[in-house]
Amino acid sequence: MTTTYEGMFLLDNQAVRADWCQAKAMVTDLLGKNGAKVLCARRWDERKLAYPIKGRTRGTYLLAYFEIAGTGLNGIRRDFELDERVLRYLLLKVDAIPAGEREKAAEEGADGYVVPPPPTDEAISPERAVFGDLADRPIQEHLRRNTPAEADAGDGAEAEVAEAAAAEES
Amino acid sequence: MAESRKPSPPIASRHCDDPKIDYKEVAYLQKFLTPQAQILSRKRSGFCTQCQRELKAAIKRARHMGLMAFVQ
Repeated sequence: MTTTYEGMFLLDNQAVRADWCQAKAMVTDLLGKNGAKVLCARRWDERKLAYPIKGRTRGTYLLAYFEIAGTGLNGIRRDFELDERVLRYLLLKVDAIPAGEREKAAEEGADGYVVPPPPTDEAISPERAVFGDLADRPIQEHLRRNTPAEADAGDGAEAEVAEAAAAEES
Repeated sequence: MAESRKPSPPIASRHCDDPKIDYKEVAYLQKFLTPQAQILSRKRSGFCTQCQRELKAAIKRARHMGLMAFVQ
C-alpha cells in the first residue's frame, strides 16, 4: 500500500545556479531510486534563509509530491542526509496533492520555462557567504583596538606624566 | 496600588474547520510570534487547543527549513 508524501527540499544554490534541471533531477532520481513514484515536483522559491545553514545564507526550495510504500522512506532519508547539495529536507504525509500543484509543476516542465534570475540584492561575496553580516563590518574597526601603535602611545603618555612629576619635584 | 495591565486581545480569527495551518505560509505564521520569535501562548493567539498544536507544529517545521528564525 502506497502513501502520498509531500517533500520540501532546501537545495544548495551553487548546484541550482549551475543547472536547475540537473538539481531537480538529482532529487527526483534519489526518490525514484528508493522506489518512490514522483507525482509532481517544482521550484517553490528562492529565499534568504532565516539563519545560516552550512554556511549558506540563501537557498532554493524544491517542493515535490510522491507516492511510496512505508518501508522505502528510511532509504530516502538516508540518501538525503548523505547528499551535500541538500541542506535540509522535510517529509510530510498528505491526504492528497493540493489543488493547483500539478498545473504549476506542468508549467515548469513545459518548454520555454526560464528559471527566474536571482534577486538583485544578492551580490554575495565569498566573505559574505562565510561570515554573513559580519563581512560588512569594516575590518579596520576590529584592528583598531589594542593595536601596537595605541599601546606605544599609552606608554608614551605615562612617561610624559612621570617626567612632569620629576620636574615638579626638582 | 498599581493598575493591572490590560491584556491584548487575541489575534487569531480562524475557524477550526478551516484547512490545516501550513508551514509554507510564513507571513501568516509570523503574526503569532513575539518580537524575539517565541510562539505566542494560546491566551494571546486566541487559538483552541487543536489549532494551537497545529500552529506550533507549523512554526517548528518552518524553523527547521530555515524559513523562520528560532530567535531574533
